[in-house]
Amino acid sequence: MKINSYIDHTLLSPTTSKKDIYTLCEEAIEHRFFSVCINSSYVPLAKQLLSRSNVKVCATVGFPLGAMSTEAKVSEAKKAIEDGADEIDMVMNIGMMKSNNFVSVYKDIRDIKLAINNKPLKVIIEISELSKNEIIKACQICIDAKADFIKTSTGFSKSGATLTAVKMIKKTAKGKIKIKASGGIKDYETALKYIESGADRIGTSSGINIISEGTILEAS
Amino acid sequence: MSIKTLNQYIDHTQLASNTKFSDIKRICNEAILYNFYAVCIPSYYINEAKKLLSHSHVKICTVIGFPLGNTPTAVKTFEAKQAIEDGADEIDMVLNIGLLKSGKLLEATQDIKSVKNAIGNHVLKVIIEISELTDTEIVQACNICLEANADFIKTSTGFSKGNATINAVKLIKKTVKNNAKIKASGGIRDYNTALDFIKAGANRIGTSSGVAIITNKENTTHNY
Repeated sequence: MKINSYIDHTLLSPTTSKKDIYTLCEEAIEHRFFSVCINSSYVPLAKQLLSRSNVKVCATVGFPLGAMSTEAKVSEAKKAIEDGADEIDMVMNIGMMKSNNFVSVYKDIRDIKLAINNKPLKVIIEISELSKNEIIKACQICIDAKADFIKTSTGFSKSGATLTAVKMIKKTAKGKIKIKASGGIKDYETALKYIESGADRIGTSSGINIISEGTILEAS
Repeated sequence: MSIKTLNQYIDHTQLASNTKFSDIKRICNEAILYNFYAVCIPSYYINEAKKLLSHSHVKICTVIGFPLGNTPTAVKTFEAKQAIEDGADEIDMVLNIGLLKSGKLLEATQDIKSVKNAIGNHVLKVIIEISELTDTEIVQACNICLEANADFIKTSTGFSKGNATINAVKLIKKTVKNNAKIKASGGIRDYNTALDFIKAGANRIGTSSGVAIITNKENTTHNY
């Protein structure tokens, strides 16, 4: 299995330096990861570094809390696309979901999708903050708002992806939306389990470890 | 220090990702009841808070580029402008820590200047996230904030690995003297700790434990 093409090679830390972005992009090219996933201020640099490769640039929006105004998220998403981002990973407004204000949750996502035209939009629903019913509701809203992916987690909350949640999202999505599992996926076997459960993409900062383990396992 | 003055140091803070309308209602009501200086809330809720606080003196403070600080300058600037339009009185922005770490001090300064220019006379606090910085970087960050005419240096987001420290507040005070104010935030949960930070030079305390700080003075004193 070509697991490398499932991987969004991720570096989302407040201390990320330009040097870190150089390293991340070099690694993504070398291992032919699907994309690099970075905070939006580094999109221009990453785009430049990846210009001769097929590696895509994925930028976060409203990350990691999701509680900024819709206008601010739209501004960030638009700017990221202008700067060269190929995909947007936005955080859902979790507080609105918790307030049962589903129209606002929908509008927040739809406004961003409209602002970025046909670019893939992933919506991070932060499963660790949601009940089962809220996960299902969030999935339905993402489908209605024409998001392309549901993404499980930011990696900044109390916990990351779970197989149970991915299976539940898969069951709810019925093929209408893809799934990105992220947060705490650090080895090959775990990554494989997520893919078997329905994940179409894996967000991880352990991409190199995952593929090197995979190479060893497949060779043995 | 009397309770009457301590409450005016407090930015009553609610910044969790799962903050609900009902939480905003609660903290606004508490801020009015205890006469806190401000509420500090995500930008999505400014309109709501403005309505709830319209007949009070409690100010609205919101966060920009929060909590990682690495959104583009243009986006931080837009977000800040929008927040002021919506009714925010003060802006707490996060320094672009990655630029500081990359030695790009001019770019980091420009990031702050751009936000400051966009918000006119409104108060700008710059969160430097001390837990991610060495002492030398803290001094550098302070100098950048002074250069960009920020009004406050704020220690922490509360979302990083560490919180405000007395040592950092003293270091910031020594660096900025009276040219910028200091907001200590992150992990300040009782009266005595709040007092220690004020003695060390803090002009404002950011905390989600404002009510406990004001009301449980006697109880918390025994913890020391």
